Amino acid sequence: MTALPEKRGLLIFLGLLALVILISLAAYQMTGQMGIEERFSHAVGLDSGEKAGEEGGGWFGLSLEGNPIFYGIALGTLAVLCYAAYRHFSV
Amino acid sequence: MAHIHLEDGSFTLVWVMVWWACALLLIGVSLYVVRSAQKRDNRRITIAAFCTAAAFAIFQISIPVFGGVHINLTPLVGILTGPAIGPLVVLIINILSAAIGHGGWGMIGANTLVNIAEVAVAYATWRLLKPCIPGLFPRAGIATIAGLLCGNVVMILIIVISGVQGVTQGTSQILAGLSLLAAVNMGVAVIEAFVTGMIVAYIGKARPDLLWGERP
Repeated sequence: MTALPEKRGLLIFLGLLALVILISLAAYQMTGQMGIEERFSHAVGLDSGEKAGEEGGGWFGLSLEGNPIFYGIALGTLAVLCYAAYRHFSV
Repeated sequence: MAHIHLEDGSFTLVWVMVWWACALLLIGVSLYVVRSAQKRDNRRITIAAFCTAAAFAIFQISIPVFGGVHINLTPLVGILTGPAIGPLVVLIINILSAAIGHGGWGMIGANTLVNIAEVAVAYATWRLLKPCIPGLFPRAGIATIAGLLCGNVVMILIIVISGVQGVTQGTSQILAGLSLLAAVNMGVAVIEAFVTGMIVAYIGKARPDLLWGERP
């Protein structure tokens, strides 16, 4: 009896994903290839923003926004705090 | 994910202060609720710390989909930490993001409001769907889509209400441009829904006691 709601949930989820993908692809076709900052500036009518070409940089196309050194420091601090909380609260 | 990618100075000072005041009001309510709890939930504090680190780490990475988008895991934050601690998590993430140069300081208030909407709607959807969709993976995925959709709507409303300095476009043109942007943004919601669904399903199997409202 529990299989039906499980399947129904999965079907609703997959249907929703298909709808979102279709709408998103249609919007992408209309706007064309742009970086995230450029897309935003274009949407509100500003000329500034990064030019297209965010894709392809970094590792496997993934690139970091912001200062990498500060990113490392902030992430390292958060990791230490997580470890301290994990040990202190014995989760 | 929804995030206002505009530099400082895009909104007038008045609107920067208005969005900051609204965000601080909600943060104040969150703090009041957390502090007035009868018993401190240490597990939830630890989960919040992990959520902050994970969401901050992934939020700064531009994924090469549709020219560059990023995930921020705010729906996961909502599902795992709830609507009281979640706003505190997203405030910290937005402050740290501005500190490393991703987003303006003046935009923290507006972006925190956008992210709080994502947290709250994802959490509400997650809880409301429990009777009709018991499966953790699809429920978390649907909650993610709902949260991110709401975040995009709030983002558009904030920009349309505030207006952008130095722009000659009318409100209807900005609205049309932002609607297209939001539709493209929702493409990454598919990735985020899968990621969130898989994380929640894994936690549900390994440590169901860590899931809000799902404790055995």
